[in-house]
Amino acid sequence: MVFAGRTAAAVLLFTLAAVPAHAADPIKIGLSGPYTGGSSSMGVSMRDGAKLAAAEINKAGGVLGRPIQLIERDDEAKNEVGAQVAQELINKEKVVASVGFINTGVALAAQRFYQEAEIPVFNNVATGTIITNQFKEPDYEANYVFRNSAYDVLQAGLMVDEALAQNHKKIAILADSTNYGQLGREDIEKYLATKNVKPVVVEKFNIKDVDMTAQLLKAQQAGADVILAYGIGPELAQITNGMAKLGWKVPMITSWPASMQSFIDIAGANGNGVIMPQTFIEDQTLPKRKAFLENYYKTYGVTKIPTPVAGAQAYDSIYLLAAAIKQAGGTDGPKIRAALENLNEKVEGVVTTYDKPFTAKDHNAISRNMVVFGKVQDGKIVYDKAEDAKNAGVVRLKEKSSN
Amino acid sequence: MEILLQLIASGVAVGMIYAAIAFGYQLTFATSKTLNFGQGEALALGALFGLTLVPFLGYWLMIPLVLVFGFALGAVVERLGVRPAVKIKSEYGWIMATIALGIIFKNVAENVWGRDDLKFPSPLPETALQVGGVRILPMELLIVAGALLMMLAVEIFNRKSIWGKAVVATSNDIDAAGLMGINTQKVITLSYSISAMTAAFAGVLVAPVTLTGATMGSVLALKAFAVAIIGGLESGLGVIVGGLILGVAETLTGFYISTGYKDVPGLILLLVVLSIRPVGLFGKAVIKKV
Repeated sequence: MVFAGRTAAAVLLFTLAAVPAHAADPIKIGLSGPYTGGSSSMGVSMRDGAKLAAAEINKAGGVLGRPIQLIERDDEAKNEVGAQVAQELINKEKVVASVGFINTGVALAAQRFYQEAEIPVFNNVATGTIITNQFKEPDYEANYVFRNSAYDVLQAGLMVDEALAQNHKKIAILADSTNYGQLGREDIEKYLATKNVKPVVVEKFNIKDVDMTAQLLKAQQAGADVILAYGIGPELAQITNGMAKLGWKVPMITSWPASMQSFIDIAGANGNGVIMPQTFIEDQTLPKRKAFLENYYKTYGVTKIPTPVAGAQAYDSIYLLAAAIKQAGGTDGPKIRAALENLNEKVEGVVTTYDKPFTAKDHNAISRNMVVFGKVQDGKIVYDKAEDAKNAGVVRLKEKSSN
Repeated sequence: MEILLQLIASGVAVGMIYAAIAFGYQLTFATSKTLNFGQGEALALGALFGLTLVPFLGYWLMIPLVLVFGFALGAVVERLGVRPAVKIKSEYGWIMATIALGIIFKNVAENVWGRDDLKFPSPLPETALQVGGVRILPMELLIVAGALLMMLAVEIFNRKSIWGKAVVATSNDIDAAGLMGINTQKVITLSYSISAMTAAFAGVLVAPVTLTGATMGSVLALKAFAVAIIGGLESGLGVIVGGLILGVAETLTGFYISTGYKDVPGLILLLVVLSIRPVGLFGKAVIKKV
């Protein structure tokens, strides 16, 4: 079924790409992400979401009468492979823009090539705060890096505020030892400092760590009443399993990857009640979301997006880019960048409706008010707050000058 | 006090995981003075193979098939990677060959089972037992018991069976054993088979606690290698003691010093052992006559 669906989509893409070929060449857009390895559930959801959007756009006649052609490359979540992929996409494939990046390290290693070539690069999943600041004014004349994911400062702030709102006084921070975890931990500690709260423990764990006893016992001994954890699916699951083993249960608030399928599978019942910031929850309230989800399930033969946030943000990123190319009236990099920074058309996506998502100074499309808390419940991610669930049909627009 | 006991209990469980894997290094080193650097991949293949069989056979019935699988895998490694190198008396050829085979195994596993970390269904309840203030998972007890049982079985095999005696004879003096009519080449193949069999068994043993995936063995095998060096590459008892020392050192450092320095004491211990007693805590110092 999966195969049949994919083939159908491919045939559709192919025929649509082939028909107007005599009139115009396809617009090539790079698609770089980890389709293999530990981050692959995020990467594959991202890729499939982007392909879905491209197929829809092509079905409706393409952009400027030209079809979109996605050039997929696997960056394996490795910084050096990501840099190679970027150079290949720019120099050999001659892409007009790229979307993707799940891993902050890969984004930082790869996007300088786009910056140098003056080609827009669109981060739709990676969250490191520094990503959109790497080529900021005044050091650089123009910044070619854009993003439509909730960056770490937003997530860290939300996690801390949620912990304080729940009236927790003793906060334990657990973060993995990668760039991602440690940058996130820094953001949490900085934000806590502005609230004059000092965490009772700050602990590290490594990717593939088997035993979390030492970290959890320290938190328990310090009297922690909540755990803020920054990491990805498998290790976050080891924390919940470790808590169950020690017979110690406090609320756990994590960064967004607890919505990964691997967390849900490995944590099982122990994962119930864990909450994390999400830009997208699989609910079918809005017609646009309903259509997106139904199309995704049908095309890929699944009943659930492996990592819903990644799929939804990737889908939106292609529509944003298509709108910018249309406005630019061509595929010239600086023109697309200028169009993105001053997008006239309102773009209806599945995360939100984007109304002037970027400015010359602000390259983050997601603002804090768009992020809700998701909760793991019996193998699915649902709204944590009743009011969010009730307002699921309300599109959260970007707050002006909030970033 | 309770905390110390809890830390030691968790450390012992982790340490036995390391020891179970390190035991495989010791087996082949004893007979042929070579190691299988693809031990971590043998572990992962065993666990993934087991995971595929579990839905059909259940956990316990799956184990014998995994043992057979590991046994065959070891023979393949020996034939392809080690024997050619030993034949031409290459001192280092087998290192490259076993690493290369390990990489091939990993890639095969990634193609067959994908690259995600998978959950291995636990054969025992996943709620912790309370033993005098210490909480421990039934699965962790099974790991300790299973690893000890496995080592005991290999030890009995070596002491009682005719094949085992040939293994011991070859370990003691390969040339003399050859002159006594023992087919030492077959003995070396056998030791590789048993070694990979223990790795595959360790894989299905630890998988419900760790995660299952093509790369599950990478970190574990490296730690196990340190354990084998600390304990002594020729001693079965050494790997148990080495594993326990490393496991407990990790959890204690994590709690009393910092989780950021968790891996440091093990490495310091490795350096100390190498500089004071290069054959390991329980290794036999042998004077090599050239």
